[in-house]
Amino acid sequence: MEEQKANKEGQSEQPHNDTRRDFLKQSSLLTALVLTPPTVFNAAAARLDEKVAEKFEKVPVTLEINRVKQKLSVEPRVTLLDLLREQLNLTGTKKGCDYGQCGACTVHVDGVRVNSCLTFAVMLDGKKITTIEGLAEGDELHPMQQAFIKHDGFQCGYCTPGQIMSAVACVREGHANSEAEIREYMSGNICRCGAYPNIVKAIQEVKNGGQKV
Amino acid sequence: MHSKVDIGDPLDRVESRLKVTGTAKYAAEYNLPNEVYGVLVTSTIAKGRIKSIDTKAAQRATGVLSIISHENAPKVPGYSASVNNEGARVYGQEFRLFFDNKIYHNHQPVALAIADSFARADYAASLVKVEYEPEPHDTDMRDSLEKAIKPARHDDYSRGVAGAFKSAPIQVEQAYETPFQVHNPMEPHVTTAVWEGNDKVTVYNKTQATKISQKEIAKAFDLSEENVRAYSPFVGGAFGSSSRVWPQEMAAIMGAKATGKPVQVVLKRDQVFNMVGYRPRSVQRFGIGASADGTLTGITHEAYGSTSQYEQFTERITDPTKSMYSCPNLNATYRLVRLDMSTPCWTRGPGETSGSFALESAMDELAYKLKMDPLQLRRKNFAAKDPENNKPWSSNYLRECYEAGAKRFGWSKRKSEPRSMRDGDWLIGMGMASGVYKAVRDRAVARAKLSQDGSLLVQSAVADTGPGSATIFTQIAADAMGIDVEKTRFEWGDSTLPYAPGQFGSHTTASVGSAVYEVCKALKQRLQQLATEQAIQAARTEDLLFENNAISLKDGSSNIPYTDILKQQSLPELEVIKESEGNPAMEKYSGKSFCANFVEVRVHALTGEVRVNRVVSAVDCGKVMNQKTAESQVYGSVVWGIGIALMEEGIIDHRYGRHVNNDLAKYYVPVNADVPDIEVVVIDKPDPVLDPMGAKGMGEIPLIGFSAAVANAVYHATGKRIRELPITPEKLV
Amino acid sequence: MNQFEYTRPTKQKAALEQKAKSPATKFIAGGTNLIDLMKHGVENPQKLVDINRLPLHKIEQTKTGLRIGALVANSTVAEDKQVLEKFPLLSQALVSGASAQLRHMATVGGNIMQRTRCYYFYDTALPCNKREPGSGCGALEGINRIHAIFGFSDKCIAVHPSDMCVALAALDAKVLVTGPNGDRSISFLDFHRLPGDQPEKDTNLGPDELILAVDIPASPFTKNVHYLKVRERASYAFALVSVAAALDIENNTIRNARLAMGGVAHKPWRLLGAEKALIGKQVSEEVFQQAAAVAMQGAKAFEHNEYKLKLAPNSIVQALKNAAGMA
Repeated sequence: MEEQKANKEGQSEQPHNDTRRDFLKQSSLLTALVLTPPTVFNAAAARLDEKVAEKFEKVPVTLEINRVKQKLSVEPRVTLLDLLREQLNLTGTKKGCDYGQCGACTVHVDGVRVNSCLTFAVMLDGKKITTIEGLAEGDELHPMQQAFIKHDGFQCGYCTPGQIMSAVACVREGHANSEAEIREYMSGNICRCGAYPNIVKAIQEVKNGGQKV
Repeated sequence: MHSKVDIGDPLDRVESRLKVTGTAKYAAEYNLPNEVYGVLVTSTIAKGRIKSIDTKAAQRATGVLSIISHENAPKVPGYSASVNNEGARVYGQEFRLFFDNKIYHNHQPVALAIADSFARADYAASLVKVEYEPEPHDTDMRDSLEKAIKPARHDDYSRGVAGAFKSAPIQVEQAYETPFQVHNPMEPHVTTAVWEGNDKVTVYNKTQATKISQKEIAKAFDLSEENVRAYSPFVGGAFGSSSRVWPQEMAAIMGAKATGKPVQVVLKRDQVFNMVGYRPRSVQRFGIGASADGTLTGITHEAYGSTSQYEQFTERITDPTKSMYSCPNLNATYRLVRLDMSTPCWTRGPGETSGSFALESAMDELAYKLKMDPLQLRRKNFAAKDPENNKPWSSNYLRECYEAGAKRFGWSKRKSEPRSMRDGDWLIGMGMASGVYKAVRDRAVARAKLSQDGSLLVQSAVADTGPGSATIFTQIAADAMGIDVEKTRFEWGDSTLPYAPGQFGSHTTASVGSAVYEVCKALKQRLQQLATEQAIQAARTEDLLFENNAISLKDGSSNIPYTDILKQQSLPELEVIKESEGNPAMEKYSGKSFCANFVEVRVHALTGEVRVNRVVSAVDCGKVMNQKTAESQVYGSVVWGIGIALMEEGIIDHRYGRHVNNDLAKYYVPVNADVPDIEVVVIDKPDPVLDPMGAKGMGEIPLIGFSAAVANAVYHATGKRIRELPITPEKLV
Repeated sequence: MNQFEYTRPTKQKAALEQKAKSPATKFIAGGTNLIDLMKHGVENPQKLVDINRLPLHKIEQTKTGLRIGALVANSTVAEDKQVLEKFPLLSQALVSGASAQLRHMATVGGNIMQRTRCYYFYDTALPCNKREPGSGCGALEGINRIHAIFGFSDKCIAVHPSDMCVALAALDAKVLVTGPNGDRSISFLDFHRLPGDQPEKDTNLGPDELILAVDIPASPFTKNVHYLKVRERASYAFALVSVAAALDIENNTIRNARLAMGGVAHKPWRLLGAEKALIGKQVSEEVFQQAAAVAMQGAKAFEHNEYKLKLAPNSIVQALKNAAGMA
């Protein structure tokens, strides 16, 4: 297991780290911009407090994401979904509704499928998280990913990572024993394009294929 | 030759690996250097004025860069220019973000909070305090029908005698209603905007039409079109809702201007209900008459739709009525009720979906009055040419849809009496409906580049929001050129690429596909010209084969790989651009796609719950481009049809003029458990006129009439006719 | 969402202390409802006490029945062998609720504490006495198709959204809670409140109290049970009406019966009168209809939920038929 050190802003990936530092540097330059509307001056001024505030507002959290241990610092109000997408550039996990009503944000926490939009990252201290980016073994797609391609289990692709994470869990949970059971246990993942029949076929193939899921 | 691909083959989607690994980037997912987040603050009244906006607390919040409202928004030159309705796709004054203090609808965006994280922007947005001066509003269409107006851009239609149905021996006269329905693509509407200097902007955008985005944004900000780039290779569903420029695009661009940073604005789900269009409500009075043998003698269709106060949104609600059946006397009118709501927007099968609910329900009612099989009634009134304009069909295999669909479904086993079929506590019903949808072709341009390594790149600005356009264009190009599919790449979703119309109206395959086909044809001609072998240069086209990455003579006497031609001419690559100008020959024809949907429902005798149990959808969409994605398109329409028939309804509390069920836990769309076996029957016969591939369209046709097929099946199961969608337990218990 | 202070005690005592110190403090466990409400601005706690590390994750047999820890996930309860064997009704109810993901996240305690899905409660721009006492009830004369037909007041006509609680009410469960004054056990029927003049109070749980477990007494209802959930969408939807029916049948005679309904009142609605009407009777659809008629006494509808006056008794009959194996 690798361990990556992250800076206190919670970034672990080098390019993004630089991004963030640039941002902090440039934010002070902002105040010099004459063309910006007056509100920006005030907001920029308020930013002076930010560095102080951040110390109090952010808390440390250690997560193992896709087999990489990450020491992060997050505001308690930041959801796992926003942490993944904004801070860690793991944008494969999707924000569809942000209220636990669509399943696009489904990830595995300690092997269990959950809605990452209804999970504060800080609450997961010490847990293992798998996202769609962590499902394939290198270039080798997970059987479920392959089955989704073969059976056209998606159209626009936006709900797809959530569907696939949910589908893998559905098989592992032992809830893929019949078409009806798959439909029921996959109903927490909405697909507005209507790929449901193909999603069911993909899951059945994986379930019946006997591969390790 | 495993890598040879033909039109029609079930090729996997070309972008599938990106989609299943989470690496396909949607508009909010670029994480650009210095990117910041904007969250919109929306109005809590339906009509009135903003009295004051207090942004002090919001500005002081951690991480906030800017709060933008009408008081300080960057100027949008296009907002002050005079209204030019000639070019506008919707008649009226488009909504102008942060333009003045007027409120036209509830949840109207009134401010944008920008901060260095979504959570911080979201909190800042909640701290913006807005005071309003409310005015009386009206959001109730049903109570305002008498105030309806004749749309500026819609003509009444009639043929024969108006109101003729009233003198028919057998007649049905009923009112049918459909509610507000919301597209609700899974990806909420989003734009990330980045300025380079003062005159150049890039938008990573959720759009079905990169070229429309480019043009509209250029117009609004008074920029040259080449200085606006709309980049949208991945769009998480749209269904019509991303066919205009919306507040999140304008907000992101303004926000980026104000802060000097890339700004992403993602709508929250409740904002998706109110800011980016929806299917308008409809109230339809429908009269239909027939002689005793079932021959239609007259139809009257009076349709009402809803729109906003600032624009007249019109849709094709009476179109199926005009063209579906042979009927000598027909009059159709369409009126709009202006409400204090945002402007509706094209929604999958815009107009046809609601209109066909009335037409196909009325046909079913008529069949019962005639004591005639509903399928037989439709067969009897088959239109041999388009009755709307007397033009011959470019192709019409509706009767084949009837036959093949009925056979696969087992329609002959249906007992004609309502409430005559049962399985335990569940009543079983079977219903069917026909559908018709325009098949048109528009101007499009494609560029093809053949490289010395033998690879082919084809480019178009077209979007692919899910139908699989990128895949079938790859396929059309590979097939036309006889190049291995692995060596063929299609590039799309970028306004810097050659012109394509929006990916809507089921005309993308015919339009852009033709451009791809024609650019390949032009490329083949160039290759022939450049070939050094005299026999090939001089050959007639019909004697040539373009296969296996080479030109050859059919008699086998000569064969030159494309790569050799480029090498011999010392060309690193060969590039051809081709504009495809619609199809003038179509003026003499009526182009339509057709379908027949057969549905079996189960209705619980005690609880009134309806479940769709079985569907056969038979579709005439011309030649199929890809068997796999084509089936998926039909699944999509059927799932939409189930939603529209059984559960989708935007509910407004008219006292407040506000949606009360504006999220996915209160506005239901179908889940996996709602969707049964769907059997797709594609007739797969080429249209000889519309385009060189023989394709019509198929993104919408299977949806047309579907909700009526469900309602007809529910009637057959229960003996209860539901004329107001959706068909929920409360209407049946 | 506002910033809040976050703590994660591992001891029950510390959790109670941390909650007691601040009135704007909330316990958080699964978060599936609370985070949703915080995102909507309906709940704005200053401090969250994360109780997930408290030792309340066990399902254990007791002398009188089964004790399910407050932090056991809904999915774990639904698939627990003892629950399936002894309280299949509870399992059925749980599986009918929410989605697989949410059931993994949501805890037993959280499910009990979940708040209404009334439209007006969720939209801070609209009046709601439950969210903002004194602001009025938006639903009373507004859109009320999903609202109560029993036990409402002129202050609030919302319904409790839980499926699990309907089964627990039918099974005579008790809620074990603890607080500054020690532990106490609250009968399930007394746990949730009717709205009365204080619709902001959903339950009788004290402000400083914490749910520890649910105790379900052993019962003969292991076979003839059914949880019926009526909804317009086949899954992942709240009940328009739901019925938990449990029968103890011997030789076609109903020895004992339990009935509760969801989607009809501010709390899980136990149908004691209807139960009485069933006990001692022979199993028949007619008897079920009589019981349903008793159950509906006192029901009253609003503008848009009149259908419930018919749907509710029909659902009772259907649930009883299913429980009795007649369907």
